[in-house]
Amino acid sequence: MSIFTDPKLGLIPAAFHKKLEEQNRAKSCYDWAGYAAPGVLDSVEFEYFALRNQSSVFDISPMHKYRLTGPDTTAMLNRLVTREVRKIAAGRVGYAIWCDEEGMVIDDGTLFHLGDNDWRLCCQEPMLTWLLDAAWGFDVAVRDETHSVAGLSLQGPTSYAVLEAAGLDVSALKTFDLVQIEPDLMISRTGFTGDLGYELWCDWDKAEDLWDRIWKGGLHQGLRAIGYEAVNIARIEAGFLTAGVDFQPVHATERLHRGQTPFELGLSRLVDFEKGHFNGRRALLSKRDAPRSLLMRFDVEGFKPSEGSLIYNQRKKVVGHITSGIWSPTAKRNIALAHVRMPDARRSSSLMAEIYTLQEGKWDTRMARLTPVTKAFFAPPRARVTPPART
Amino acid sequence: MNHFDAIVVGGGVNGLIAGTLLGRRGKNVCIVEKSDSFGGMASYSVDGGPTLAHSFYNLSPRALSDIGLDLQHPVLAGKPTSTVSLAEDGRHIVFSDEGVCWSDGTAHPDSKAWSDLTQQLITYGGLLRQLAEAPPPGGHKAVLSRGGMAEVLRLAKLGIGLKKLGKSDMRRFLQVVLSNVYDIVLDDLSDGPVAGMLAADAIWGAAAGPRSPGTVFNLIYRMGHGGTITQPAGGMSALTDLMVEAALKTGCVLMPGTEVSRVLVDKDAVSGVITTDGQTLNAPLVLSNLAPKPTSRMTGPSVFDIETMRRIRNIRARGTTAKVNLKLKDNMPLPGLPEGLANSRLIYAPSAEYVEAAFNPAKYRQKSKAPVIEAFKMQTADGSGWLSTIMQYAPSDLEGGWTEAAKDQLAQITVDTLGRALPGLKDHIAGRQVITPDQIESATGAPGGHWHHAEMSLDQLLTLRPANGMCRYSMGPKGLYLCGAGTHPGGDVMGLAGRNAALAALEEQP
Repeated sequence: MSIFTDPKLGLIPAAFHKKLEEQNRAKSCYDWAGYAAPGVLDSVEFEYFALRNQSSVFDISPMHKYRLTGPDTTAMLNRLVTREVRKIAAGRVGYAIWCDEEGMVIDDGTLFHLGDNDWRLCCQEPMLTWLLDAAWGFDVAVRDETHSVAGLSLQGPTSYAVLEAAGLDVSALKTFDLVQIEPDLMISRTGFTGDLGYELWCDWDKAEDLWDRIWKGGLHQGLRAIGYEAVNIARIEAGFLTAGVDFQPVHATERLHRGQTPFELGLSRLVDFEKGHFNGRRALLSKRDAPRSLLMRFDVEGFKPSEGSLIYNQRKKVVGHITSGIWSPTAKRNIALAHVRMPDARRSSSLMAEIYTLQEGKWDTRMARLTPVTKAFFAPPRARVTPPART
Repeated sequence: MNHFDAIVVGGGVNGLIAGTLLGRRGKNVCIVEKSDSFGGMASYSVDGGPTLAHSFYNLSPRALSDIGLDLQHPVLAGKPTSTVSLAEDGRHIVFSDEGVCWSDGTAHPDSKAWSDLTQQLITYGGLLRQLAEAPPPGGHKAVLSRGGMAEVLRLAKLGIGLKKLGKSDMRRFLQVVLSNVYDIVLDDLSDGPVAGMLAADAIWGAAAGPRSPGTVFNLIYRMGHGGTITQPAGGMSALTDLMVEAALKTGCVLMPGTEVSRVLVDKDAVSGVITTDGQTLNAPLVLSNLAPKPTSRMTGPSVFDIETMRRIRNIRARGTTAKVNLKLKDNMPLPGLPEGLANSRLIYAPSAEYVEAAFNPAKYRQKSKAPVIEAFKMQTADGSGWLSTIMQYAPSDLEGGWTEAAKDQLAQITVDTLGRALPGLKDHIAGRQVITPDQIESATGAPGGHWHHAEMSLDQLLTLRPANGMCRYSMGPKGLYLCGAGTHPGGDVMGLAGRNAALAALEEQP
């Protein structure tokens, strides 16, 4: 996943590795930015349903984290990302994307407004050199906190109760709020699952103490440690994008024209042309009305997961492909995220996915009708209620 | 009256030409210059001494006629000068239209080879001049648009010109154009002062030695207008005065002694400038005669894309040329130089090898102990006699900095080097002026004190000049243009950068 993994070094443990190791029965780790991260600890069904029905902890320490401080930080960030960062008040978190000079998305991430001219950017791709470039000429210090700040994602309907049981009162925290709840602990009401959930941030060396505390709080709340496979199902249900899967971070592409504009990814709400110049603005002005393809959400006919399928239009011409496709256990629907080329994306009522199936040693294909969906596949109201319910 | 159609920041040769051209096309133009006099690097001088530039060889007739200057004007006509390569044994070598001979009049055995090679380079230079007289090729215009067609035609003309050279000459051109001057010259000549002269002419103002790639291009570039070296009557300041006059005639408002502190940008378009003395001047067009980096400093980095700023700060501009002016005690002829050669361009470059060796210390932030020198004996306005010398190599980033002691050493090296061919020179010297690259930078704003604001190397030419994405003179917000030597086709008191930029600006805001 990361292009900067040192092959001699091999995978290194993330902040909660030791704690996860104790529960890792599947022994299935994958490379997340050079860290050994669990794909699944036991079985994905257990983990997914813990996430949706009880609560779950997932180690997000491998995420790239950058601290930006100094008098010009707001100006620097406003030139970097496409949205107006001045609308993200201190104590709030904002989802943001940033583009290259051609308006192609480099990555997406979350901006934590920690205080006056004090921000943290969390993202999937390594971004230090880009941030240093972006900060040139501004009075801003950029620090890579990836390996000094640990992150633990606590998600699920009982996550508020878990925190309460751990002695942490976050009743006032609205979605996208953050609070420095203790000197060594910051909590934000954020997540990658579309559910009620929190992300807990502390120093790397305090991670295991935090784990023990949360784990104890979760004893009667069905808390379960989970791996990425379960998270992936949840994020597709929520309609969230994964870098490298649902869009190609343009700095990691080698072929021409693999990059995508925010408009092609359905993220136009994150582009503010009125705020002044930002990277790629001039290119995006001309690309705004001419998307080459659209990222779409589909209900897929049948129940076979459609990931990797090609999409055909009525005239049997390939016009796109499914980037993420699963059977959603909660929505009880076969759902997918897909790229569809223009103009077929605009007349998408007759699109079909060609799904490859393997049934007891026999490969086959079946054509599944695609029905466009505009909203998230699963967006429970409990995710936004403040104060949240305990169960 | 603070509203203009266009503001030119920096009143050097390119700024004056850009402003005057815009003025002649009906724009209400203001040219703002930091120092009290116009002309920039061409006519900068200290305490009435000789100017930085002391001759021109690349001044574009097209740029001059575009600003309404009469090409027959006595100042421009000046007098073409022959070149003399100084020799330690007193047998100086004279280069002129007729070829190469020794100072006693006997023909030099390398004369024909030199003439042939020079002629060839001048032919190539004529071809490349077509490229210089237009914005670099490969813009974003549709081929079928008027501008696009013009571009295709221009390139076709270059192609036809190449074809017309004939097969072997065309092949030779393509073979040498990207090569280094050392190899090419020594193909035809044995190493010595004749080869040394060509090697030297390929590296003036550059952070390059004759063995650096692309130096043949530099030599061809220098000969783009025929290679004739002219000393304008009345000196370089007379030339720039002429341009100032032309600017005034077209109604340009000239503001000397005024420094722009900020270029104003509103809604991604320039709206004017603020000066250090607090004036606000409004205009929808701002042409900056400064290099890209100082220009970006006036707007702040936030109006440019991150990639643009990265390219801007990676532009290489390391000045390696100092000016050493030696005040002469009297107007007597220089010792060891025949009377007839007194007013020639004197160079000290005994061989191509010598020129390369002179470059070596500059790579490591040292000054040359055995430098390459170009000198003119001249009289300044007050009648005093000077030996105006260009001293190569004196890097802008000298280790230890340009202290008074370092400057003294540089002057001493210059006198000693010339003294080897002109014995007793030191006894004729009454005073010395040293103008180092860092001083040139602070006086004119040219990064590193570099002649061309940006090294004229293959990676910074044509569509890559000053950097990828900026070659059409516009940069960042609407209405902001670069018109200085950092842009295509570069400096050398040529004037085409300013002219091309003005035409590009007119194309977008007629």
